[in-house]
Amino acid sequence: MIIGRHYINEKTLVPKVVIGTLIMIVAIFPVFTTNIVTLSTIILSGIWAVAVMGFLLILRTGQFSLGQAAFMAIGGYVSAILTVRMGVPYWPSFLAAGIISGVIAFIIGIVVLRAGGIYFSIITIAFGEMVRIVAMNWESVTQGASGILTRAPDPIMMGNFEINFAAGAVPYYYFMLLLVTISALFYWQIDRTRIGGTFRSVAANPVLAEHLGINLMKYRLIAFTAAGVFTGLAGAYYVTFLSVMNPLIFDLWKSVQIMMMTIVGGMGSIVGGPIIGATLLYTLGIYLSRLPIPNIQYLVFGGVVVLLLLVLPKGTGLVDQWGKLWRWVFGEPEDFQMPEEAGMDEE
Amino acid sequence: MPPAGIWVDGLVQSCIYITMAFGMVLVFSILGILNWTHGQFYMLGGFVVYYAVTAAGIPFPLSLLVSGVVVGGLGMLVEKVVIERLTSPGYGILSVTAATNALIFFFEGAAGMGFGLMNKGMATVLPGVLDMGSFSISYQKIAVIIFTLVVMVAMYIVLNRTKVGKAIRATSQEPDAASLYGVNVKWVRVIVMGIGCALAAMAGGVIGIVQSVNPFMGRVPMIMSLLAVVIGGLGSLTGAIVGGIMLGLLNSVIAYSISYYSEVALFMLVIILLLIRPQGLFGAAPK
Amino acid sequence: MKKWYNVLAILMTAVIMLGTLGMACAEKPAPPKPTGPITINIGLPMPLSGSASPWGQIPTPFREAWFEVFNREGFQVNGQTYKLKLIQVDDQNTAEGGAAAAKQLIYGDNCKFIAGHWSWNFGAVASVTNPAKVIFVTRTGAPDALPASWGGAYDPKTMPYVVFGTPSFDEFVNYCFTLRDAYPNMKKLGLLDCTISKNGMGWQKVQDTLTKAGIPWQEEWFTYGQTDFAPIITKFAEGGCDVVLIAGWIGEHMAFLKQRYEMGYKNMKVGCSGPFVSMDIYKSVVGAAAFEGAIGAYDDNSKLKKTIVNPKYIAECQEALKIAAEKTKGPYEYTGEIKWIPTHPQILVQAMQKAGTVDDPDAIMKAIRGGTFDTAQGKWTMSGEKTYGSAVNFGNTGQLCIIKDGKEVYLAEHPMDPIP
Repeated sequence: MIIGRHYINEKTLVPKVVIGTLIMIVAIFPVFTTNIVTLSTIILSGIWAVAVMGFLLILRTGQFSLGQAAFMAIGGYVSAILTVRMGVPYWPSFLAAGIISGVIAFIIGIVVLRAGGIYFSIITIAFGEMVRIVAMNWESVTQGASGILTRAPDPIMMGNFEINFAAGAVPYYYFMLLLVTISALFYWQIDRTRIGGTFRSVAANPVLAEHLGINLMKYRLIAFTAAGVFTGLAGAYYVTFLSVMNPLIFDLWKSVQIMMMTIVGGMGSIVGGPIIGATLLYTLGIYLSRLPIPNIQYLVFGGVVVLLLLVLPKGTGLVDQWGKLWRWVFGEPEDFQMPEEAGMDEE
Repeated sequence: MPPAGIWVDGLVQSCIYITMAFGMVLVFSILGILNWTHGQFYMLGGFVVYYAVTAAGIPFPLSLLVSGVVVGGLGMLVEKVVIERLTSPGYGILSVTAATNALIFFFEGAAGMGFGLMNKGMATVLPGVLDMGSFSISYQKIAVIIFTLVVMVAMYIVLNRTKVGKAIRATSQEPDAASLYGVNVKWVRVIVMGIGCALAAMAGGVIGIVQSVNPFMGRVPMIMSLLAVVIGGLGSLTGAIVGGIMLGLLNSVIAYSISYYSEVALFMLVIILLLIRPQGLFGAAPK
Repeated sequence: MKKWYNVLAILMTAVIMLGTLGMACAEKPAPPKPTGPITINIGLPMPLSGSASPWGQIPTPFREAWFEVFNREGFQVNGQTYKLKLIQVDDQNTAEGGAAAAKQLIYGDNCKFIAGHWSWNFGAVASVTNPAKVIFVTRTGAPDALPASWGGAYDPKTMPYVVFGTPSFDEFVNYCFTLRDAYPNMKKLGLLDCTISKNGMGWQKVQDTLTKAGIPWQEEWFTYGQTDFAPIITKFAEGGCDVVLIAGWIGEHMAFLKQRYEMGYKNMKVGCSGPFVSMDIYKSVVGAAAFEGAIGAYDDNSKLKKTIVNPKYIAECQEALKIAAEKTKGPYEYTGEIKWIPTHPQILVQAMQKAGTVDDPDAIMKAIRGGTFDTAQGKWTMSGEKTYGSAVNFGNTGQLCIIKDGKEVYLAEHPMDPIP
């Protein structure tokens, strides 16, 4: 449309305005409610979103990792052990959790990423179980099945303004937003640059990519390590919010859950997809657990995911519907879409 | 050296792993996917046998066949409605993996709601114990062993001597060539899914008389049969049998020798095997 | 034209959605002050879904029935009558589920107390209840529900509002003494527990106590989800154990009973620290022959011989059992819940009466610590000063039953000595 002497393309503007409004609402959400239950749900959705982003990045290099929950466990334990058992202050421990998680991912990656496809997935499953078993049995360090009770970060003084984590969920909420934003920026940057383009080609056709001189292992290793770092941070934060860490929290089924969140959210966008998928599935799970009829939650949860998979067009997720939504709004004919480039006019 | 009783017990465990792993490998060879819901068909089969025996009074061997047919049919339905669509071109491996995982929750919830949450036993089926001197074995466990032998023989006959079996083997080796020769690949996939699920179901039924059935019994056997398949080698039927035997015996012997570290030992073995030889004992070498 | 229309529609929808969101989150006006009895909410997080759900579901009719009976009179503090309302929320027996359930109960349902809790998420729930100053009545024995000095999570300094209304851990050791009372010529006691509980200090305590009392023991472990106990049975038999006590659940108990019978060890007595959930289930899984002689926890307070229970409470429990049977339209024999609900609420009620307040958690906790309470399980004094660091540990009758002709029959009893 034309306002005065300026041309504004409302078709790209309006979606951006809507996203902007949503982001604003999310940023000031605690103004609407400080109900701990609501805030908890959002905080945990955000944490899972970060883990899902990691899974998606690895997926884009053509690898299917069912061991991401193990990195959350590693991050959780590092942070818990450092703060509670060794008295290290919180924020250095938090960063250490991410770094150590990344280092372990790097080492495992070098050894294991050579294996192709299904073998890699099975090794990640075995890795996840090993982490759980080690955590359960290495009692001198992890306190075995009793787990470790974590402590909230110490209050941060910013001038006269004190951020006290022990006081409620609001500081956790904002730090979660910070974590999600930084992870999102990082992942988005990887995706946007040549590395991202390379990742996509590696995933689409590994053999051709290799022939073109792209070093498969190098990019897979980068993805796996980066995912390891942020997933470790997510795990450390989760454990702080939950106040407890034990070997049973991050098991194979959590890795499976991450995988399900990815597909439901959609793989078109490295940031939007995971956020939508994690929030939707996590909130659905919480909502279903309140239903009075026992065990219906499993039935409905499984059913909803399968239905979504069947109904959504080939291999896309909810985030990929975003583009379609606006085309419908503006009454435009559907563009022909190349596979794996859905959502190309967004993000 | 563990006493004879431990070995026999391990053998009984192996039988279940063999049957489950066989079904899983069959499905993997033809459909190209790991069916995560395999354990749930095992559980459902157990319940069908339970109700057939206790509510309908059908004799046990016939009940096994009934459960094989019913749950096999359910498997074929799942294949047609869910798997076929999610494995058509354009979908990634992620879709069908997520779907079969979601179905785990679905079936567990359905079974919990439909059958109740508590264990249900069938101790009255084949009661009694055979005393073999240094150990005794219950008739139920003997039934497990006999069942597995029968199933293995039946599978051998079907796969090698029948037209359907030939079609299945052809499809697993060269799907495109097979369809050129007039094999309806789509139907082969459905049938194979049915067979795989029927195997799991009957395994669940036969173990149900030894232990009990409950809606959550499918998770651990699923992981164990996955391990057996991995040890034996993905895509190899012989591997499934060998993997199953090894896993069952190892589990029993390790549990007897070092009890609380049996989990660790087992997983360590699997990881080392995967790193040295990811294709398992009999699988095709990875590209 | 079409484009403006659509954009406007979207913006209006957004505004309406925001508006509804805002209204939904707005503070509701406080309800008018009621006359007559005031209801206090008691929250109970427990497994209603997932593999542990039978243990949450089966006692539910009895719990609801007992509260019904209790609320006919209610209780009085400072002349005001109060009733108790039980609110159950699913916690799936996991740490995250426990934290979410506790938050829902405290902040969503305004529960003043959490009671009757026994899931394996002590640490997670306690981390929510203590900052909120909600008194949390639970049990000892879940992996982290032990003193910090034993590797558990309980620390009286950081958790001032925790009460162990059911001392499951200490009860297990006590059952060993009950078994010795029942079988003075016992050769060796086999102990079987899940590797999840293989916590250093806790089990060390069990072993030391038994050794000091002169009871020979042998310990074996099973992994969570294990269904085949042949190796363990063989080891017990080789070790000469004639009595085995399982710190486990119905699945393990049934499997062990059946398998040991089939392996030829018919005379091995097998007890479980949990109660028999249902005769029918056991018989159908284990077989009537193998089931004879099985031993389990017994909480029917009408059969106690050594501990005296207020007849009023016995009558209440019988009445609740009857109501539960009516609700479930069938026989209801499960008495295992008596250790939890009614005992936990009774402790809370008497503490509130002693402290003379229902609103001051510190005063109520002060009344609980070291206090003596008369409950449906008998009269006990809170102890645990030396071992748990705070006198918040209740007592236990140590009653066991044995199966004769397919029915629970009183076996023996060993009233728990107060833990220092």
